[in-house]
Amino acid sequence: MKMNSSTLFVVCLLGIIANVNAKECRATIQDACRPYINKQSNPLLESTCNARYGAIGHLEPDLVKYATSHLVKSFEYLLMSTHFGNYDMNREGFEKLFRGYSDSKWADTIELIKHITKRGGKMNFSPISTSADNYELYEIESLAKALDMEKSSMNDAYLIHERAIRKIDSSHDPEISHYIEEEFVEKEAGTIRELTGYITELSQMLAESEDNGLALHFFDDYLKGL
Amino acid sequence: MKSIVAFAFLAVVISAVSSELHCTVKRPNIPNDWIDMVRPCVEEMKKQIQKEINASMKYLAMGAHFSRDTVNRPGFAKYFFEAASEEREHAIKLIKYLLMRGELVSGVSKLIKTSFDALPTTHWNNAVAALEDALKTEAEVTKSIRNVISVCEEPNDNSRFNDYHLSDYLTGEFLEEQYKGQRDIAGKISNSRNLWATMVNLENSCSIKNCCKQCKIKYSRPQFV
Ligand SMILES: [Fe+2]
Repeated sequence: MKMNSSTLFVVCLLGIIANVNAKECRATIQDACRPYINKQSNPLLESTCNARYGAIGHLEPDLVKYATSHLVKSFEYLLMSTHFGNYDMNREGFEKLFRGYSDSKWADTIELIKHITKRGGKMNFSPISTSADNYELYEIESLAKALDMEKSSMNDAYLIHERAIRKIDSSHDPEISHYIEEEFVEKEAGTIRELTGYITELSQMLAESEDNGLALHFFDDYLKGL
Repeated sequence: MKSIVAFAFLAVVISAVSSELHCTVKRPNIPNDWIDMVRPCVEEMKKQIQKEINASMKYLAMGAHFSRDTVNRPGFAKYFFEAASEEREHAIKLIKYLLMRGELVSGVSKLIKTSFDALPTTHWNNAVAALEDALKTEAEVTKSIRNVISVCEEPNDNSRFNDYHLSDYLTGEFLEEQYKGQRDIAGKISNSRNLWATMVNLENSCSIKNCCKQCKIKYSRPQFV
């Protein structure tokens, strides 16, 4: 009996603590609306009156990292595009291709930020340090780098997806796994296939001729016309 | 047609001989007399590109802040996301200009930093505070563009090269947009403040029922949704 009552006490205490930590929104609102209760400065701040549910708490850092990596890649593609735009390289097709990738990564950065906030998350703009890289590449080298970049992006998407579909370690979140599939995985598969096609085509053209100036010119013209 | 067949034949023969790729071409020597921008001016332009990107980052952070569920100002979020994209476009326009003038043949890899420092602020108390911050940023950008123009008109390298075309371009395209943009933001600050004052007055002077019609008019301004 004594044992029982103390257990009950502990259970009640735990219940109260749990209640304080994750107070339901309605209860918070009711407290806030009660006239003579001792009110916190902003009771809504620590309540569940927000858009957080599911595994956003677990997946938020991954999504922020994913958005940040899109942002960095958008600038990397912009530099690659710039290099092909100078009068010496003069490859309008390559310039256009990488500008397109840069624009798309930029737009996806904003979309990701919107989605993070849609789920009650917060985009984190902490400092990003990336190793200094060379973006002044020759034609086929630039396509190869782009393929590596896209595969790494796809890998990021798969990692988030893998966590989101796992029911263990409370990272299960169908909304996020669906979002990643619908908005990123599908498009990324297309980009990876497109780049591989370019590399196959151009390397065949380059293998076939000692004077590759013509091959590169034709290939650039092809990219320009897309 | 004949020549294509001959070319294909030749290609097959060559590929049978060598399997290694010849990936680069020798660049022809191009006369560079036409490239007339002077170093101090080019350097200022390059700095300006990074400044536009920095402004873009700031507006991106504002967009992110006003998108938050517990901040909830979607109209402002949209406005700042668009501003971020515009600043990025400005950086690209400056890059395009330098390319047109025969610049950026080398050193492109360091043109824009792909590492970012921490942003000074990622939280704004309200929309007016963010607009005021934006107006301050725009004023700094305007000052910076004026500085680029002044360096490019009178570079301190004994060249005495007055870059008429660049200063005309920056004045016509960039300063024009700066002044219009600043006026637009100042107007938005004024609107927001007026709206706030009106709401306070309404609460003090009449019942919500009577003022409902007026409230609706004030609330229906699209940028304050
Ligand atoms: Fe700008």
